[in-house]
Amino acid sequence: MPEQQPSLDDSFIIPIGPQHPALKEFEYFELRVDGEEIIDVSVRLGYNHRGIEKAIESRTYTQNLYLIERICGICSHAHTTCYCQAIEELLGVTIPDRARYIRTIVAELERIHSHLLWLGIAAHEIGFDTLFMYIWADREIVMDLLELISGNRVNYAMNTIGGVTRDMSPELLDNIREGIAKLESRARFYKDLCVEEGSVMQRVVGVGVLQPEDALHLCAVGPTLRACGIANDLRKDDPYAAYDAVSFNVITYDGCDVASRMFVRIDELIESVRVIDQCLHCMPPGPHKVKVVRKVPSGEVVSRVEAPRGELIHYARSNGTDQPERYKVRAPTLANMPALRKMLVGGYIADVPIVIAGIDPCFGCLDRMSLVDVKTGRNWIWSSDQLRRHSLTWRQQA
Amino acid sequence: MSQRQGNTSEESTLSVLISYLGQGRTIEAKTPRARRAFLTLPPESFRDALAFLVNEEGFRHLSTVTAVDVNDHMEVIYHLSSGGVSLSLRIPVPKDKLVVPSIVDLVPGAVLYEREVHELFGIVFEGHPDLRPLLLPDCWPEGLYPMRKNLSLVQIRGVLADARATAKLGR
Repeated sequence: MPEQQPSLDDSFIIPIGPQHPALKEFEYFELRVDGEEIIDVSVRLGYNHRGIEKAIESRTYTQNLYLIERICGICSHAHTTCYCQAIEELLGVTIPDRARYIRTIVAELERIHSHLLWLGIAAHEIGFDTLFMYIWADREIVMDLLELISGNRVNYAMNTIGGVTRDMSPELLDNIREGIAKLESRARFYKDLCVEEGSVMQRVVGVGVLQPEDALHLCAVGPTLRACGIANDLRKDDPYAAYDAVSFNVITYDGCDVASRMFVRIDELIESVRVIDQCLHCMPPGPHKVKVVRKVPSGEVVSRVEAPRGELIHYARSNGTDQPERYKVRAPTLANMPALRKMLVGGYIADVPIVIAGIDPCFGCLDRMSLVDVKTGRNWIWSSDQLRRHSLTWRQQA
Repeated sequence: MSQRQGNTSEESTLSVLISYLGQGRTIEAKTPRARRAFLTLPPESFRDALAFLVNEEGFRHLSTVTAVDVNDHMEVIYHLSSGGVSLSLRIPVPKDKLVVPSIVDLVPGAVLYEREVHELFGIVFEGHPDLRPLLLPDCWPEGLYPMRKNLSLVQIRGVLADARATAKLGR
């Protein structure tokens, strides 16, 4: 790398994003670079801003259940759990124990599917497509289970205000038991593989470093925070559903880099299997939902859930009618945005794909990328594929 | 298991904070259930309270900032947390002067949350480093705040339809 003081005149602006046809979120990053080094990052969100909070205010609580399910395609169950908890608290309703356990099982299956999805994407971003295909093939095990439970691969529609919409039969519980045993052995296999495989470790160790002090200052959440050695997990700290009745470990690693974020997620796969296993063992009998009234008494509530990507917080205010007065949603990716900036600055363009993917946001914004030379105004467009190829060749030369 | 070591209980945090702030500087305090606390403060004592919570009481994590359009005023709510305890600090802001001091110097993680509230509600965070638009489309008219109660969905659709008609916004 040339030893040069970064100055504005020598720098390029690299816009990344915002559009990708296949993925769940859109983001627009503008990287200011000097040669290969990133000297500043700014972010413009909202390419796909749908105004859901405004929409929620003009719909009934039942209609909102379906809207909130669709905030995210990956962690839809986390959002509805958060929503249902909030409304149940406003109503003063206690849901049946069986519903709490079913919510927990689906939440952990969702975490497994989300983490496997992430792991596959991470493998792809570092140019290890064989690993990506292996992982996504194994992800089908959990997708099949979710489909068996709910009839859907995403947007399971399992939660309802007052419990869950579907019960689980003994045969279904057996199927889940069988599935998670397979998933556990695969998770252990991937952990060994990542530790031993030099081509994985070289691309993730010491990349995208976030100091623990910065993570706390910038209010990072979830695996991003836990990879800085900070044990923070709402399932333990602020238990909901059946998490107070099961035992599991909060996984932390203290490498503060993409490698740690990877191992936190792999170990969490195994912990999720433990949680599901305990739920299956002591699944209480009884009804899976209670009937609730349509009108919600005035009040306010803060509801929090540990989604696969970290702390999810909803704030609800009711006014005695069947529509909320105000409903606020803050998903974990937004919380990790300021920290992401910290991880990127000082790093190399070649590491942008894996560092952005490291917080598990929408990596899709890398689809279309234009490089602008600020001196000549010349610019060219890179697809995510070209960027990835650049990243691989550059890494091989380095 | 639900109560881990080091967690301050919500009631004791509130009483410590109220006695720190002194007589008459809090409007309302409540703890509706375990691990939840709500505190309403006048705008002039809220930065004091926030600094005390962040620096002395371990409430270093800001989950988000919520604004609520109540009939005659707005509320800005800061959702802080320490371990499992979530404490919401609420400050009422009069509609004729929608200005509150920014807390980015105390909690750097507030930077995007304040920007979002500014854009959607028109509340100005004094001292914030960058209040440029973050979420709404580039064609969105300045001075129009979609989350305010006086702007209906029909009006919002109208604004977007106009932008489409003049090709400032794609389909």
